[in-house]
Amino acid sequence: MSLTRRDVLIAGSVGFAGVALFSPRSARANDEALDLVKQLTGRTATVSDRLHLIMPTDFPTGYTVPMSLYIDSPMTEADHVRQMRVFAPRNPIIEVASFHFVPQRSLPRVSTRIRLAKPQHVVAVAEMNDGVLLMTNTWVRVATDGCA
Amino acid sequence: MTTPTPRVIVPNAAAKGEIFQVKTIISHEMETGLRHDDRGNVIPRKIINKFICRYNETVAFSVDLHEAISANPFFEFSLRATESGRLDFVWEEDGGAVYTLSHQFTVG
Repeated sequence: MSLTRRDVLIAGSVGFAGVALFSPRSARANDEALDLVKQLTGRTATVSDRLHLIMPTDFPTGYTVPMSLYIDSPMTEADHVRQMRVFAPRNPIIEVASFHFVPQRSLPRVSTRIRLAKPQHVVAVAEMNDGVLLMTNTWVRVATDGCA
Repeated sequence: MTTPTPRVIVPNAAAKGEIFQVKTIISHEMETGLRHDDRGNVIPRKIINKFICRYNETVAFSVDLHEAISANPFFEFSLRATESGRLDFVWEEDGGAVYTLSHQFTVG
C-alpha cells in the first residue's frame, strides 16, 4: 500500500480533530464526574488509574451491560478498600450499586451486569480505609434504553 | 412472576490462603418502580436490595443493589480461603423476603 498525499493530509486532520475534540472532552468527563461525587458524598475525590472500571464502549442493549470493577490493593488491615460505588449519571436513578469488601477475606474486584438508560460516562468511586476517595469513569454507548 | 431461585458456583475445596472465585445469580425481575402498566399505574418497585456473603458467620463481601442492577442479578467476586467451614449467601428483597443458600467448603 502506498500513502498518497491525500491520505496523509486526511489522517493528519482527523488526528488533529481527534486530539482537539477528545482530550478536552475526557477532561470534562473527569471534572463532571468529580462534581457528581462531590454532590453525592459531600467529599472530594481524585482521579486515579489504580481503579479500573471495565465496560464495553458500545453495547446493543441497555438492559444488561457487563461491568467489571477492580482496584490494586493489598487488602490488609492497614491498607484496604472499604467500598466501591458505581454511578450512572444519566440514568433516572443515578446510584447503581455499592460493593463492600473485607480485609484478608475478599479481593476488591467484582463483575456484574447493569442497566443504562442512555449513552453516558459511568462513574466508579473507591473509598479507602483512610477515607481517601479515588475516582474513574468510562464512556459507554448503549443503543436501547435499559430503564424503560 | 416466577419464584426467585438463587444459584451459586463455588469450588468445594481450596488450599489455605488461595484466592477462589464465587459466581452467584438469582432469578429475579428487579422491577424498578419506573415502569407503568397498561392503565398508566406505576408498577411498584420490587428489587433485591442487598446481597451478603458470609464465611463462617463473618461477612466477607456484600452489595447494596439499586434499580440499575439488571434483572437476574449476577455477581462474580473473589474470596481468600482461610479455614474450612460454611459459606452463606443471602439475598434480601423489597418487602422483607429473604432467599438463602449455603455451601460447605474445605480448606486443605
